[in-house]
Amino acid sequence: MRRVATLIAIIHATAPTSLVRGDALDELRQRGALVWGGDQEGGGPYVYPDPNDPNRVVGFEVDLADALAAKLGTTAKFFQADWNTLPEFLRAGKIDVILNGYEWSAARAAQMRATRPYYLYELQLLARASDDSILGWEDLRTRAGRRRSVSVLSGSAALTYLRVHWAGDVDIVDYNGNTDAMMQVRNRVHDATLPDLPVALFYRHRPQGQGLKFVGPPVGRGAYVMFVRPEEARLTAALDQAIEALYRDGMLRRIYEKYGIWNGTQATLLETRADAAAKSDGPQGNPGDAGDSTAAVAPEEQAPRGWQVVRNYSGILLKSAGMTFLLSVLSMPIAILIGLLVALGRIYGPAWLRLLLAIYVEVLRGTPVMLQLYVIYFLLPEILPVRLDAMVAAVAGLAINYSAYEAEIYRAGLQAIPRGQMEAALALGLSRGAALRYVIVPQAVRIVVPPVTNDFIALFKDTSICSVIAVTELTKQYNVLANSSGAIVELAGLTALLYLAMSYPLSVAARRLERRMAETATPVPTI
Amino acid sequence: MIRIEGIRKRFGPLEVLRGASMSVGRGEVAALIGASGSGKSTLLRCLNGLESHDDGVIEIAGQSLPPRQSPDRPSPAMRALRRRVGMVFQQFNLFPHLSVLQNVMLGPIYAHATPRAEAAERARALLARVGLADKERARPATLSGGQQQRVAIARTLANQPEVILFDEPTSALDPRMTAEVLAVMADLAGEGMTMLVVSHAMGFVRRSAGTVHVFAKGEIVESGPPQQIFEGANHPQTQALLADAEQT
Repeated sequence: MRRVATLIAIIHATAPTSLVRGDALDELRQRGALVWGGDQEGGGPYVYPDPNDPNRVVGFEVDLADALAAKLGTTAKFFQADWNTLPEFLRAGKIDVILNGYEWSAARAAQMRATRPYYLYELQLLARASDDSILGWEDLRTRAGRRRSVSVLSGSAALTYLRVHWAGDVDIVDYNGNTDAMMQVRNRVHDATLPDLPVALFYRHRPQGQGLKFVGPPVGRGAYVMFVRPEEARLTAALDQAIEALYRDGMLRRIYEKYGIWNGTQATLLETRADAAAKSDGPQGNPGDAGDSTAAVAPEEQAPRGWQVVRNYSGILLKSAGMTFLLSVLSMPIAILIGLLVALGRIYGPAWLRLLLAIYVEVLRGTPVMLQLYVIYFLLPEILPVRLDAMVAAVAGLAINYSAYEAEIYRAGLQAIPRGQMEAALALGLSRGAALRYVIVPQAVRIVVPPVTNDFIALFKDTSICSVIAVTELTKQYNVLANSSGAIVELAGLTALLYLAMSYPLSVAARRLERRMAETATPVPTI
Repeated sequence: MIRIEGIRKRFGPLEVLRGASMSVGRGEVAALIGASGSGKSTLLRCLNGLESHDDGVIEIAGQSLPPRQSPDRPSPAMRALRRRVGMVFQQFNLFPHLSVLQNVMLGPIYAHATPRAEAAERARALLARVGLADKERARPATLSGGQQQRVAIARTLANQPEVILFDEPTSALDPRMTAEVLAVMADLAGEGMTMLVVSHAMGFVRRSAGTVHVFAKGEIVESGPPQQIFEGANHPQTQALLADAEQT
C-alpha cells in the first residue's frame, strides 16, 4: 500500500499541477455543500457507521463538520475514501477538505494547506490488562533477552514517535487499522499498542478495547488539523475562524464531551500552533484528565452480536455486494472483447501492431491494477480534459487490466486451432476476416470458456481494489463494518457467503455452457 | 482449365518445384502420382494459392495466378479464384463446431452470399448425393473418416466449382472407407467434373483418370493415358515408382 503511494507521489511530481483552480469557498457555498473526506474503516470515534443505521455516519468529526459547515453558511457532505489516499482526492478536487484525524506534519504541510488545530491529540500506550509485566513505558525495554513488540497504525504520528524514541528497544509492527492493532495485543501477538488518545478512550468500553489497560501517561502531543488545497487561502481562513468561534461558544467542547474525548489539553487549543504541538514530545499532559473525560462518555451502544449483526448489517452489505456485482459484470465483457481483439491483432496483425499489442499486454500485466486505477482516475484528468466518474474509472480500469489476461488466454486458444481449419476456410473462398469470425474464433471461444470463467470469478474479488478510488464495494464495506462493530466473525461469514453467492452460480453457468457447446451444433449466424 | 508452366518453389535451401509444367483440359480427370514427400501436394496447393510459387505461370479456371501472392491475406481476385477451384484435403478439415449441414452451407453463405434457404436446399441435395442425407444434424467428430471425407466433398461441391483439387483424399482411410470415397469421386468424374487428383490409389487412377502425370524431383517427368504410363513407362523414375506401388 505504502509502496504504491510512493510510486504515485513520484508520478505526481512529474505531472502538471491540478486543474482545480477556482475559489473553493465560493464554489462550495454555491453548490450548498462542504465536501469533507474521511474513512469510516476503523473510524471510531472520528467517523464511523451508525450502529443503528449503518447507512449513516456518526463521530465527532461528523458533528464537527456539520458545525463548521453551518458557520460557513452551508451544509456538510461526507465523502468516503481510503484514509491514506485522501490527499489524492483533495488534489483532484473531489473533496474540499480532509477532516479525519490527520496529524500536522511538516511533510503534509508542504503539500497541502493546513488549518489551525481542531484537536490536540496525545498517544496512549495500551497493554493487556492481565499482563503484570508492563506497568509503565520503562517496562517495554528488553529484559531477559526477549524484545517487546508494539503494534501501531500505519502512517500515523504514533508510528513516527515509536521510531524516533523506541526503535532500539522494541519491535514496531504497523497495521492498517487501529482496531486491528488492538486485537493483535489481545491475541498476545504483540505486547502493547499505541493509539491516539481519542481512539483509546472511545474503545475503552467497547468490545474492541476490552481486556486492554492504559499504561502510563499520554505522550507525544500533536495537533489534528484539516487540510485544503494549497491555493485555497480564503477557505483556510474561514475554517480557522469557524474553529475559533466553535471553541469560544463552547460547541467544540460539547461535541468532544459527547464522544468522551475532551480533556485538559484542549484548554490550550487556541494558543497552540500546529507545528509547535508536533515538535513537543515525551510524557505530556495529565493522565488524570484523560481519566476524568471517560466519565463524560455517553452510555455507549451495546455492540450487537450473532443474528442481530446479520439483521442490522445484511442490508448494507447486500448493497455493497450489488456494487461488486455491477463492477464485475460491466467490466468483464469489455475485457473479453478487448482481449479477443488484442489476441487477434497479436497473431494476425502486421508487425508494428504485434509489437504495440505485446507492449500493451506486458505493461498491463506487469503493473499493479491499483496503480492503473490511480492513473485513470487521478492523472488522466490532469493530462486530458476529461473528468471520469469514479464508477466509470473503476469499470474502465478493471476492464483494461483484465483485457491483458484475456488476450493471452485467447492467444493460446487461437493458436490451438489446427492450421487446416484456416486453410479449409480460405480454400472455400472466404476472406480472412470471415474465416476468423465463422471458423477460427468460434472454436477458440469454446477452448477458453474454462480459463475465462476462472478469471471472471477472480475479478469478483479483485473489484475490492476499487476502494482506492472511493468506490465502496463489498470488501471495503466489510472492513468498515467489522472495525466499527467488532462483530468480525459474523460479518466475515456473511461477506464470504455473499461472494460465494455471486461466484458459484457463475461456475455452474459456465460448466453448463461448456457442455452445451460440446454437445449441440450452434446455428450458423446469418450474414 | 489448368495450365502451369515452369513453376518454381523453394522452402529455404530446398527447391521443391523446379520448373514443373502440365495442363488439364475441361472435363478431364488427371492424376498426379509420385513418391511421398516429392512435392506433389505443394504443386497442388500452389494451384489455389494455399502456397505461393516463386516463379512460373499458373492459369486456372480462366484466371492467372501471379507468383508471390500471400496465401493468408487473399486478394479479391484470389478469393474469386478459390470460389471456382475446390479443394479436398487429406485430413478432411471439416469444421468441428458446426453440424454436417452447416459445414456444407458455409461456403455458399460466406463466400458467395447465397441466401440461407437456397444454401440449405443445395446442401441437403449434395449430402443426399454423397449418401449422407441422414447425417445433416451430426457433428463431424461422430462420423467415420470415409463419411467425413464425403462431407468434405459435398462442402466443396456446394461452391459449384469448375475444377476440384484432391490432395491425397484417401490416404488417411482404411480400404473400405477408401472405396466409399472413390465411388463418389468416380461418380463425379463420370459427370464431367474437371479433377486433378494427387493419389496413391493406383486402381482408381487406372480406372478413372484420363491422363496420368508422373512427378519426380520437382518436375513432371512423364504424362500420358494410364495404359501408356502403367504398361509402357519409359522414364526410369516412373518405373521405380510403379515398382514400389506393386509391392505395397
